[in-house]
Amino acid sequence: MSIQLSIRQLKKRYKTGDGVSDISLDIRKGELITLLGPSGCGKTTVLRSIGGFLDPDAGDILIEGKSVLGSPPEKRPTSMVFQSYNLWPHMTVYDNLAFGLKIRKMSKPAIKQAISEVLELVRLPGMEKKYPGQLSGGQQQRVAVARSLLLKPAVLLLDEPFSALDAKLRHEMREELREIQADSGLTMVFVTHDQEEALSISDRIVVMNKGNIEQIASPQDIYDHPETLFVAQFIGKMNFVKGVADDRIRIGGLSFPNAQAHSGPVSIAIRPEDVILNDAEGQGIPGILKQIMVLGHYAEVSVELGDHGTIRGFQPREAVKSLQPGQKVTVHFAKVLTYSEG
Amino acid sequence: MSKKMKMGVLGLLLVTPSFLVLLVIVVLPIVLSFKESLKNKSGGYDLSNYEYLFTDKLMRSNIIFTLEVTVISCVLVLIISYALAAFMRFSQGMAVRWIKRLYMIPLFIPSVIATYGLIQLLGNHGWANRLLLAAHMGQLPRIIFDIKGIIIASLWFNIPFTTMLLGSALTAIPNSIVESAKDVGAGRLQIFFRFILPMTYKTLLVAVTFVFMGVIGSFTAPFLLGPNAPQMLGVSMEQVFSVFHEKEQAAALAFFTFLLCSGLGYFYIRSMIAEESVKNALLG
Ligand SMILES: Nc1ncnc2c1ncn2[C@@H]1O[C@H](COP(=O)(O)OP(=O)(O)OP(=O)(O)O)[C@@H](O)[C@H]1O
Ligand SMILES: [Mg+2]
Repeated sequence: MSIQLSIRQLKKRYKTGDGVSDISLDIRKGELITLLGPSGCGKTTVLRSIGGFLDPDAGDILIEGKSVLGSPPEKRPTSMVFQSYNLWPHMTVYDNLAFGLKIRKMSKPAIKQAISEVLELVRLPGMEKKYPGQLSGGQQQRVAVARSLLLKPAVLLLDEPFSALDAKLRHEMREELREIQADSGLTMVFVTHDQEEALSISDRIVVMNKGNIEQIASPQDIYDHPETLFVAQFIGKMNFVKGVADDRIRIGGLSFPNAQAHSGPVSIAIRPEDVILNDAEGQGIPGILKQIMVLGHYAEVSVELGDHGTIRGFQPREAVKSLQPGQKVTVHFAKVLTYSEG
Repeated sequence: MSKKMKMGVLGLLLVTPSFLVLLVIVVLPIVLSFKESLKNKSGGYDLSNYEYLFTDKLMRSNIIFTLEVTVISCVLVLIISYALAAFMRFSQGMAVRWIKRLYMIPLFIPSVIATYGLIQLLGNHGWANRLLLAAHMGQLPRIIFDIKGIIIASLWFNIPFTTMLLGSALTAIPNSIVESAKDVGAGRLQIFFRFILPMTYKTLLVAVTFVFMGVIGSFTAPFLLGPNAPQMLGVSMEQVFSVFHEKEQAAALAFFTFLLCSGLGYFYIRSMIAEESVKNALLG
């Protein structure tokens, strides 16, 4: 597929010294890409640079092969949905939606038609006459998305558009956005600090930290193969233990293949679902079972492994029935992720 | 007593003091001066004092002069204050930082002192003229003892507070509102007239009311640096009362000024209520 948006070596430093650097990213047409990272990592900075609300210090931004850096927001083929206060409170939903179309000199009947269609799309038919103050937070954000969709941008930018909503609504909105995206085939750049949100809606995720990109990959790959220690810590639940690398990776009495040719001390990350629990005589690192928490169809166990600290693992509920806290066990890992120290 | 009744009684108790104060220092004097203003020379009651207000040439020119000063001041104060407030809201840098530090200063200078300061600065033999003379740059027009002086003084007294008022209204507009307007393609003028102005309109109305009342009733500056004729109503009132001892005429003048202000007050309250009822109708 063709590249719709290309960010090259983008750099922006604020006077305070914060900012982003060396951001390079190619986004395909019709892709939903998420910028994910902790607060202050520079997600909004990247998004605002794409939208034209911020002038980067260096680098380039191309949309459909053309640099947009010289253009103000209104001249760029992008449209932005903000975190909150998107809608103009003194205008009805209709006027909010019609404003941009009027500027584009669309005829009145065409505007009317387009608005009723887009309201249908965001599941708010017949809401034209309401004021933003009369809508719920979720409805307001949907109108904001509708307003952007109406302008038929090449790229839709969304800056944590659902973060002010409660969990249930946020869930629904994600699904709706995904459907709208599937229907419209629009390229979207979505900013969030919520990993669950990113994992559930994205084609690809860009994990950012301290103004830099840590990894760009599909949600599956981000989860299964986090490339850096930061990504391993940030995405999903993870256990960390220390180990040593020579021809193999060694933790306690266990050893694993050293595929990336690490050497010396290493950090080892293990997903809770990769923790295997055996009885005291089994193969693995000996430890003491501390706690068993049954969480519906599975159970979370925590095991103290002496020098290696405490490890959490997920077990089928059946498997923990015969276990008692305090008993001796051994722990083995189905899969480990290895990161060089320092 | 039911809870509702208790609350009702408590409410009544809370309103009573302010209502009494209002009655004694506002309503009663107005009624008394209205009564006073109806007394004619022969001890009877008629509208002769009001007739005098609108037929006497000097009085008429005083009224027109006062309205002129008030309207010009209102317009200038609002334009300048809005520009300052908008500049402080939407720009950054040295200039903004300094304006933020300085613009409130006039509020802390007593009006008599500020007025004498203006006379010293702008009078015929004031600082400004002496500097111009030294630089061979001609002379200022007549400012002190002229309408210009009164207007400059009302700018000095009214701009700080008005700027503060408008500034807080402008600060309340979230950036994303302006940015999303830009994003859909609105130009600078459209952003101002379609977004910023409508969202600060109510505060603007409050500001007009404050400035209008303040200027129309001003005394210190017009008394000290205004022309001998025509005069602002406040000065004229004082003169009629204590120089000509025409108590009834002064009362008529006072009541007329009150009517002018209540006219604006009525307009103000009406548009506030209109706004409220629109909102209620929308939400109801
Ligand atoms: N206008 C500004 N002036 C100075 N520093 C800024 C400015 N805007 C952002 N920053 C700083 O730049 C860094 C990146 O900010 P940015 O808003 O891009 O973060 P973010 O990833 O969007 O965070 P959040 O999830 O909290 O929205 C932060 O450390 C922030 O404090
Ligand atoms: Mg942000």
